[in-house]
Amino acid sequence: MSESTELPPELEAPPEEVKAELADDMHIATGTREPILEAAGVTMQFGGLRALNEVTMSLKEGEVIGLIGPNGAGKTTFFNCLTGLYTPTSGAVTLRGKPMPQDPSRVTEAGVARTFQNIRLFPSMTAMENVLVGRHVRMKQGPVSSLLHGPRFRRSEAEARDRAEKLLAFVGLTRFSEELARNLPYGDQRRLEIARALATDPSVLLLDEPTAGMNAQETEATRQLIFAIRDLGVSVVVIEHDTKFIFTLCDRVLVLVQGELLVEGTPDEVRGDPRVVEAYLGAPPEEIEAQLHTTEGES
Amino acid sequence: MSTFLSQIANGLMFGSLIALIAIGYTMVYGIITLINFAHGEIFMVGAYGGLATLTYWVPTAVVAQWYFALPIALVAGALVAMLVAIAMERFAYRPLRNAPRLAPLITALGVSVALQEAVRVFYPGATAAIPFPPLFLDGAFVIPIGDGVVIRYTGVLLIVVSLALAFALERFVERTRLGRAMRATSQDRDVARLMGIDPDRVIVLTFAIGGALAGVAGVLYGSYLNNINIDMGFQNGIFAFTAAVLGGIGNIRGAVVGGLVIGLVRALGGQYLPGGTAYDYVWIFVVLIIVLVFRPQGFFGESERVRA
Amino acid sequence: MSTTIDPPVATTAPPVQHTGRFGAVLNAVAPFAKIGMIVGGVLSVLGAFLPWVTFVLNEGAYPERASLNMFVEPFGVSGFRLHITLLGIAAIVIALLTVPAKHRIVRGLGIGVAAVALLNGIWITVEGGGLGAITAADGTIAFGAIVALIGGLVTVLAATSGGLEARPEWEWELPWWVEWILLLVIFALVLLLVAEVLTSGGQGGVVNPYAGVVFLSLLAALSGALSALSASGLLTWVGVVSERHRVFSVVVLLLCALALPFTGAGTEYWMTVASNIGVYAATAIGLNIVVGLAGLLDLGYVAFLGIGAFTAANLSGAAASAVGIHLPFLLVMVISAVVAGIFGAIVGSPTLRVRGDYLAIVTLAFGEIFVRSAQNNIAGLTGGANAIPNIPPVGVGGFQFNDSITIGALRLPSGVMYYVAIVLLVAFVMLVFGNLKNSRLGRAWIAIREDEDAASAMGIRTGPIKILAFLIGAMLAGLAGAFFAHKTAVVAYDSFRFLESVTLLAAVILGGMGTIPGAVLGASILFVLPEKLREFADYRLLLFGLALILIMRFRPQGIIADKHRKAELADDDPEDVAREGPGALPTEVK
Repeated sequence: MSESTELPPELEAPPEEVKAELADDMHIATGTREPILEAAGVTMQFGGLRALNEVTMSLKEGEVIGLIGPNGAGKTTFFNCLTGLYTPTSGAVTLRGKPMPQDPSRVTEAGVARTFQNIRLFPSMTAMENVLVGRHVRMKQGPVSSLLHGPRFRRSEAEARDRAEKLLAFVGLTRFSEELARNLPYGDQRRLEIARALATDPSVLLLDEPTAGMNAQETEATRQLIFAIRDLGVSVVVIEHDTKFIFTLCDRVLVLVQGELLVEGTPDEVRGDPRVVEAYLGAPPEEIEAQLHTTEGES
Repeated sequence: MSTFLSQIANGLMFGSLIALIAIGYTMVYGIITLINFAHGEIFMVGAYGGLATLTYWVPTAVVAQWYFALPIALVAGALVAMLVAIAMERFAYRPLRNAPRLAPLITALGVSVALQEAVRVFYPGATAAIPFPPLFLDGAFVIPIGDGVVIRYTGVLLIVVSLALAFALERFVERTRLGRAMRATSQDRDVARLMGIDPDRVIVLTFAIGGALAGVAGVLYGSYLNNINIDMGFQNGIFAFTAAVLGGIGNIRGAVVGGLVIGLVRALGGQYLPGGTAYDYVWIFVVLIIVLVFRPQGFFGESERVRA
Repeated sequence: MSTTIDPPVATTAPPVQHTGRFGAVLNAVAPFAKIGMIVGGVLSVLGAFLPWVTFVLNEGAYPERASLNMFVEPFGVSGFRLHITLLGIAAIVIALLTVPAKHRIVRGLGIGVAAVALLNGIWITVEGGGLGAITAADGTIAFGAIVALIGGLVTVLAATSGGLEARPEWEWELPWWVEWILLLVIFALVLLLVAEVLTSGGQGGVVNPYAGVVFLSLLAALSGALSALSASGLLTWVGVVSERHRVFSVVVLLLCALALPFTGAGTEYWMTVASNIGVYAATAIGLNIVVGLAGLLDLGYVAFLGIGAFTAANLSGAAASAVGIHLPFLLVMVISAVVAGIFGAIVGSPTLRVRGDYLAIVTLAFGEIFVRSAQNNIAGLTGGANAIPNIPPVGVGGFQFNDSITIGALRLPSGVMYYVAIVLLVAFVMLVFGNLKNSRLGRAWIAIREDEDAASAMGIRTGPIKILAFLIGAMLAGLAGAFFAHKTAVVAYDSFRFLESVTLLAAVILGGMGTIPGAVLGASILFVLPEKLREFADYRLLLFGLALILIMRFRPQGIIADKHRKAELADDDPEDVAREGPGALPTEVK
């Protein structure tokens, strides 16, 4: 990693003790490194348009996979298939061997959380409340106990708050805990969205362009954050335009071109593959080669 | 059989009236996605405007001749309604153009209440129903089927004027430069602006056309039922909205068909469904709910138009 | 955006540069801000002591307007001259002192003076038959109204030119018992104030044509005083203190509400008015769950009040009811709530497929279907045009709720028990609202309101949760309906028309969406005003419609703004802030 950007204190990677506590609370990692999220031969047809053709992917526990491809390659479509928003025309998406539910809320419950390409926070709720909403599926609190505010309610509320505080500390937003989400700076909104997604105790986290619109420093901080998330035992899939970011982050990279899975491999393999270079950017290989190694910020 | 046909005829007459109002709803919603609750009141204001003109500004000798009175009342009703609609857009809705969705909707409710009350308070005698002069040949002709189906001339006028106006409007929107500007604005206001179209002008135009049609409908309604009251706007406004949704919002031809369907539902429902005419309004609302829930894009809607 | 100012450090007025339309005027006045404020205050006080009309009882220009003499007595019936005097003196004193945010405080006082003077001036003009009534047209001296108005305006101008400071945040913490006593005193004062406002000017109508103006004048004076208090940061501080002693405050507030019959408002008439306000406040809070929290616009909500009322009427043993049984009141309430809740779930079920404006229309259609059906006496349950009359009052043992109560020498008017019951009901409904709002369920509602797709991506089953909002909201309205049926003794379909739904919605919006005090305040204003302004009964709805338009235009977030709510109604796009990036954060973050 050639990167040596000095990060301001609030963007630094989460402190070890916060990580340890969170990993303890979330107890996700089983250490098996078995496949969790699998897509087998996923095809998506919109009318006459085949947006995805036989795409296969397997995400192992504790792994970070990157998904790249030119605009219109079907990345977002694939993402929506993974999160239950679309039902594939053929093929199957499975989570730990079970078919993925077809309703976004149940997908989350099953342990797949996501962020959005254009930030979708709850703008008029505080950062803390945003994260608490993320705890929704894991809280045992029915309508009646919500009404009565009995001891069980208070316990579950205290637990949720405790977790939310840790998550805010994890993404470095403790100081904004009582601030309305829409008042946060752009980069922090993205981090808050990640914290909110983590609050659902996911075993898989899907990030849709997490560094879009970020400067070099913030991008670096996001990379550190994703590493920390992986250390918690959460497996991560990242869609990005920023190839450099993907190559320095991911264990494996998938390249989608026109709905087809073109190449899959380690960053080094993908980077060296002439097909990627040609299909991805459609320019003479040498130039691209140079670009792939130096691109900064947007691709 | 003749009852059935009579009800069909009644339904079509009432329906074409509703269609005229529905066009205003559908055009405004198509362009600024606002459910203009006050549109029904514009229809009411149009009726009172027409009546005021006949009562206070035109010599009785002239009013007595229907071929003078009718055009005068229609033009006056359309003008008054149009001016009120333009004022409403300018002072109530335009300041909220970029406000969140709830604000204009509630403003529309406020405008609706205010217009209705303004007429009640300031129009002499408006606290009760006011008689409206017949503006067309009195009487009827009979189609000899069964016991005979009676068709009133005013009813025919209603249908002819409504369909003619709807047809003219559709040609206008399809064929003219301004019509194209309207369609462009309804697709994407910002892009239309980039193309050199002034969205404000287009929106005013939309309100003006919708208002004028509602004003015509108001006068026709008065001459058809021979009296008007201040409640006529709200109820018929909701029916018209139902018609607009039924036909696929934003679609002029759909609004006309929707209006006719609503007319038929009311006439036939009142005749044949349990509860009789006391429940005819209820059936329209039932249709409204069913359509909104199961086919919100309406009969003619191409795509989902449900707003988030 | 407020900043913390360490009290009592004086803010030495920095030279403020005004911009905007009146910038030049303000800059010109700025050096004389202090003197200006004092002059304004003095003019106000002077105005209060000058005669306000040119004629007195049975003499002068308008003998038939004899009763206008109340404006001539120094501290006449309405006390408006006393109010102006107090506001004026306060402005002078504060202008001389060094207190934080003094210009903002004085501006509030000035606005109060100007509003009171203007209101009474207009009233005299209208009642007295023209401008001659407040000027010196016939040679007598009578321009109190004008002098006071000028005084108020001068105060406002001078204060504004001095530069409006940020509202200070006080961080005093006193021993707990001192704070308790303080809160007790404050809440007791609030109680007296409420009683005063409620009864001010007396019962409206032909008997007492001044009720409206006296009431409005008091409101104007109060809003001036309150805006000054709020500018001083004291209101916020009291809020913080009461938050610190939350349970204590709630208990004391409840006791204060229950003590209203012991104040000047303790007559049958005012008890009835207060009970009616209570019914609509409870209903408005229920609606607030649906609209304010879950963001689902319900335009047929009053139907649930109606369903509750008709259910209760049928189970009350009233002669006209279709079901000839008489159940205990508490059971009736529960049944009414359940029935209304079931209908709420039915009405809410289209939310599974319909969103936004279309949902509003669906609810409107349901509301209309209810009214039409009730009008046609559906299944004999609603009495149709005859209504269901003679619903027996609630009775416990031999005691009936509409009896008057005598405790020792104290005789409480009839209707007091209903008042007590509605206070408890409103308190219960508030509790439900507050508890739900701060729970997993409440957060899920707000999340759905903010972004339904994102909420669903957080694992929230949006469908059932939205239906639950309708169900709970409808149950609360059903409870209120059961009470309403027994209190008014007649239930007619006419009370549940579309306009009532709009009024309830307006109450929620006017008060401030998503907040409890907002719904209560909104309901109070919308149901007290017509009571007071009977003289303008003809214009009531016209003014109501115009008010709706103006509120949406100028203060869409309502009187008591919920921090959560602003994005929904206020004209302020969240993305703007996001796009500005770092540094867009307000200063209040430590």
